[in-house]
This record gives sequence, C-alpha cells and structure tokens, in this order.
Amino acid sequence: MPDALPTTAATRRRTPARATAVLAVGLAALAVCVALSLALGTRPVPLPTVVDALLGHDTSRDALAVTGIRLPRTVIGLVVGAALGLAGAVCQGVTRNPLASPTTLGVNAGAALAVVTAIHLLGLTRPAEFLPFALAGAALAAVAVFALARGAGDLDPVRLALSGTVLASVLAAWTSAVLLTSEQTLDEARFWLVGSLASRGLDMLAPVAAPLLAGALLAFFVAPALNALSLGDETAAALGVPVARTRLLGGVAVVLLAASAVAVAGPIAFIGLAAPHLVRAVIGPDHRLLLPGCLIGGPVLLLAADVLGRMLLRPTEIEVGIITAFLGAPLLAVLARKAAR
Amino acid sequence: MSETRPESDVEPADAAAERTKPHRRPSPIGSRPLARPRTSPAALAPNTARSGHATAPVHRVSAIARQRRRVALLALAGLALLAAAMLAGICLGENDLSPARALNALFFGTGDRGDVLLVGRFRTPRVLSAVIAGAGLAVAGAVLQRVARNPLASPDVVGITGGASLGATAAVALGLAAPLTPVAALGGGLCAATVLGLLAVQIDGSQAAPRLKGGISPTRLVLVGLAVQAGLTAAVNLFIVRFPAELASSALHWTTGSLYGRNWNETIIGAVTMTAALTAAFALHRRAAVLDLGDDAAGALGVRPGPARLQLLAVAVVLASLAVALTGPVGFVALAVPHLVHRLAGPPTPGTLALNALAGALLLLTADLVAQHALPLDGLPVGVVTATLGAPFLLALMARQNRPDPRTAR
Repeated sequence: MPDALPTTAATRRRTPARATAVLAVGLAALAVCVALSLALGTRPVPLPTVVDALLGHDTSRDALAVTGIRLPRTVIGLVVGAALGLAGAVCQGVTRNPLASPTTLGVNAGAALAVVTAIHLLGLTRPAEFLPFALAGAALAAVAVFALARGAGDLDPVRLALSGTVLASVLAAWTSAVLLTSEQTLDEARFWLVGSLASRGLDMLAPVAAPLLAGALLAFFVAPALNALSLGDETAAALGVPVARTRLLGGVAVVLLAASAVAVAGPIAFIGLAAPHLVRAVIGPDHRLLLPGCLIGGPVLLLAADVLGRMLLRPTEIEVGIITAFLGAPLLAVLARKAAR
Repeated sequence: MSETRPESDVEPADAAAERTKPHRRPSPIGSRPLARPRTSPAALAPNTARSGHATAPVHRVSAIARQRRRVALLALAGLALLAAAMLAGICLGENDLSPARALNALFFGTGDRGDVLLVGRFRTPRVLSAVIAGAGLAVAGAVLQRVARNPLASPDVVGITGGASLGATAAVALGLAAPLTPVAALGGGLCAATVLGLLAVQIDGSQAAPRLKGGISPTRLVLVGLAVQAGLTAAVNLFIVRFPAELASSALHWTTGSLYGRNWNETIIGAVTMTAALTAAFALHRRAAVLDLGDDAAGALGVRPGPARLQLLAVAVVLASLAVALTGPVGFVALAVPHLVHRLAGPPTPGTLALNALAGALLLLTADLVAQHALPLDGLPVGVVTATLGAPFLLALMARQNRPDPRTAR
C-alpha cells in the first residue's frame, strides 16, 4: 500500500516515544472512564463494596447493582462507543469531510426509523430483533444521502453534510409520525429512541457481534486506502488505489458499525462526529493510527457522557443520547464554521 | 385587501437606488459590491425588474402598474382557492357533509345536532388554525429571508420554530394554563433566535458590531441552524422521556407540527395575537424596502439600519413563534412560500407580502387536507407532509445557491 501521508508534521509526530505516551494516556483515560462508570450511579454504593462485588466476594443488593447493572452498561458503552467512533472516522475518511458522521449523514436516523416502524408493525420488543431492520434502514439512508449529494455535482463537504442533516430531519419527522399513531409504540420506543445505555443485558451484544466484527475488519482493511483518498480522488487513483471500491467498502463498514450500535443503544448522536476529531487532534490524520485511536476515543467520550448523565440530575438520570446531543450541537456549529468556504 | 394599497413606499426607494448607485448597474460580475449579495432574492428583485427598462422611466411606471394588476389577480385567485379549501376543510372528514349542510350548521346552527357539533367544535377551529398559522409562517419567512438577505433563512430551517416548540413543550410539561403556551413559545423562539444570532455573528468573523451582516454564507447559516436544531431536539427529547406516555405523545405533537385537536380557545388567542403581529409586519414593510438599498443608503434616507433590522427580525420571530404555539413547528411553509410568491408576483411590495400570507394559509390548509384525506395513513400530522415536501425543496434551493444564478449574470 502506498504511504500517502499528507503532512510531514504528522510523520514527525509518530516517534516511538510519543506514540507510547499517547497510547498510555489514552488507555489511562479509558481506565478512568470505566472506573467512574462502575463506581458512580444513581444508587450510592461505597467504593469497597464496588471492588468486592467485581471480585465476586459480595452478593448484597449494592453489589448486585454493580455487577448486574453497571458492569453490563459499561461493557455496552465500550462496544457502542468504539463502533460509533470507528464508523465516524471511516465516514470522514470516505467522504473526505470533517462534518461527516453517522448522525450528520442520516444513517442513524434511517436505522431508527426502520426500527420504530418494525416495532409498530411487527410488535418487536427485544432489541436483539432490531438488528436486521437497523441494518436495512441505515443502508438505505446511506445510499439516499449519497444519491442526494451526488445528484448536484461533486461531493462538496458542506453539501454532503447538509443533505445528510436534511434527510435526517425528514426521517425524524416520519419516526414521529409512526410514534404518534400508536401510544404503545411510543411508550416502548421512546427510551430506546433518545439513545441510552441503561437497562441492557450483556446478552444483547451476542447478535450484533458478527456485524460489528465484520465492520471493524473492513474499516481496518480500507484504512491505508483512506490515507490515499485524503489526497483527492485523482491522486488516489494515480497511486493505484481503487477509489470506488474503497468508498463502497468504507460505506459498508459504516453501515454495519452504526446500525449495530443503533440496534443496541439507540441513535446516540455526535459520538461518531466528535471522537475522530478528538483523536485526530492528538495523533494526526493517518488513518492507520486514527482508526485504532477511535476505538479508545469513542468509548472514552461515550462513557464520560453517560457518567455525566447519571450524575447531573440525581437521583434520576439523563439518557446519554441527550447529553451527547447537547454537547455535540455546538461542536457541529464550530466545525461548520471551519469547514465552510 | 392590501394589494390595493398605494405602493408609494417602494418607489422613492427605487428612485434613491438610481441616484445613489448609477454606476453599478453596468458593472461586470467580478466587481459587484459585496454589501448586496447576489444570492438574495430581496436585493435582487428591484434589479431584475428594472434591468431592461432602467433608461426609460415611462416603462418602469407601467411595469409597476403591471405588477400591481398581477398581484391583484393572484390575490383574487388565492382568495377563491382559499375559500374552496376552507369549505373542503369543514365538509370532509369521517362523515362527509354537503357544503350546504356544513355551512348551515356553521352559520345558523340549524340541522342535525351532530353536524353542528362536528363543524362548529372540531372542524372550524382546525381550518382557522391552519389559515392563521400558515399566514404567520409565510410572512415570517418572507421577512426573515429579506432582512437576513439569505434565501434559505426561514424560521424552520434556522431553528427558531424549534426553539418555540421547546418553549411550548416546557409549558405543557409544567402544566401552565393554555393562554400561556403562546407566551412560552415566544420565549423559546426568541432564545433560539438569540443563540443563532450569536453563533452566526461569530461565524461572520471579526465583525465588531453584533448584527446580522449580509456576509454570512447561506449554506453556512443553514448548517449552524441545523446544529441549533439538534440541541433543541435533544431538549425536547428530555421532556418526552420524562413524561408519562400520554403526555409524551402530546409533547411529540409539538415537535412534529399538527393541527389535530385545536379548540376555539387556542384559535381565538392565535387569531388575535397573529393579527397584531401581521399588522406590525406590514407597518414595518417600508423599512425593509429601505434596508434593501444597503446600510449607507438607508442611513441617508433617515432609517437607522441596526434598529430597523432588529425590529424586522423581532417581528419575524414573533410571527413564527405564534404560529408554532398554534400548530407546532410545521416546516416548509415559511421556506417555500416566499420563493413561490416571488416567482409568481415579482419583487416585494406590501401587496406581495399580503400574497405571502394568503399563499401560506392556502399551502398549510391544503397540506393538512392531503394529510387527512389523500394519504392512506391515519392521523398523519401535517408537519410530516410539509417536512417531506420541504427537504427536496431545500436541497434544490441549495443546489441553485452553489451555481451562479443566471439572473444575476447581467
């Protein structure tokens, strides 16, 4: 594969010492977030009990809250955060667009609409059954947004983001329409629909394991080609990278990853937008480093937002999707400011 | 109708434009003054109307007279269509009534008691709400697009209606009395407009004066508006999750835009407040016309551009918020109607502003009739229909933004 790093600054950053330091800091941040997610919650549990519960020495109610609720929640947060972060990074690489993410391209909204429709028409209740519908909806939305943005010419970053957001708003309107026709569907879907990590068992991860793994492998497979793609389509083609195939495979990876995340946790906004930017600011634009970095950065952001949501309105909690939307909206505004001509 | 009003407030403005910038018309594309972006239909309008006839004042006068006739004709056609749509609105439903029966029940209260209840209690408030909200949204869009000099700046695209719907949701959540809902919507709309203004001004770069300049790229404003919208949606979602299911459903109504279940109380409050706001919009029309000439020319004509712009923006926000308080954030109307009216009736005058109100009412009412009767889905909110129509329209407008507009390449 051609080594197609656009800047020398990024190359300089990749000294072994720095790479080790960055990795150490990232893992430390992740460890802190995991620890906080295990230690903090709406139910106050003393720290020694948390440790005892995790080691399996304690079976009190407090300990059950840790092992039965917080541990699965943290694991799911790790998986979903990694999936969303990775999907966002591939999105931005494939479209060469700093505003791209599963949220801004309408992929999440497509998955959500398909799932809500399925809940309404087929009476699904278990998130394990959501997956095929989420996949179909996400794929359709991805195809639609590219068709919309393509229809008018080349893939201008702002145009693509606008097409995606406009599409997402239409899909959201149709989701509301489905919800409004049935109070029962609304009651079942509303907690899932805002995006939440709460009250989900680890067994929920089993059905999405395969698509998640496939998506991640695809993403890493196209990572070197994404570097070439960042130089522009023509240069990438001159370097021997199959542009169309890279886009297609990247798109498939995004759909697999985002749809799996949505099926488990609902359409959590903006993690896919924020994580790649955070990681890129630290380790530079090389996708071979960026994608693994997002595996750490995504969960860090998601778990931090989740812990924040648990602590803000104690004793009730705010769903993590609402927290990320609040924090992500200004980020989108700032990025829009930078990206537009 | 106001299309018969004298248009003296526009003509001196045009004349002033002739005086102050006689050298600008023949200028090539590259040297177009930045203060008047070519993308604004409002700024563009007088030029296109004038371009061919500028050296012959006689032709100009006849052009204005022609436009006046045209506006009057369009208004008549619009009124007829609106009357027909209103009649359809009170006749159609689960039980279709003949027009005679419906009108009898409405005006004389005679005939079947069920008819009277159906028409008087349920259908008429719904129809009137659609008319009031549609008129308000369209005029709000027209004023906003003109003042912001941005063809994409409509209250639903930039997040003002989202803010208003958040305010209304909060009012419902806190159990406030019905008359307070419009007030809360107004507060939310103003807050969203302020946030947007701050973000947009910041985006504008190092502008020292905090005001909306013409320099904001239209698509950028839309993107910032969509970001504001995303944050607002999150806030409304918070309410939806917190509510019990039956309240959540009514909160969801506020995020989609629906005419379902309007009652007389809300309709009358809406009618009174909207009439006042529309009057203010018409009263301020002269200032909008002067602002079109650019800040320097406006100052020379004795209009201080800063306060005038702020007043017009405030009126637009009030109009949009009142409409939202009645129907929820119905999209598309405020974005599309000003463009359609501009295409049909030409450059903005008080007459075309009235046409905007008429067309907005007609569009919202028709969309509601389509949602209720023409589509196979039951109980589809009108906001879904307009959102679906609005998205391709918005994308097409943006596509035109990025192409050089043939009308400006003069």
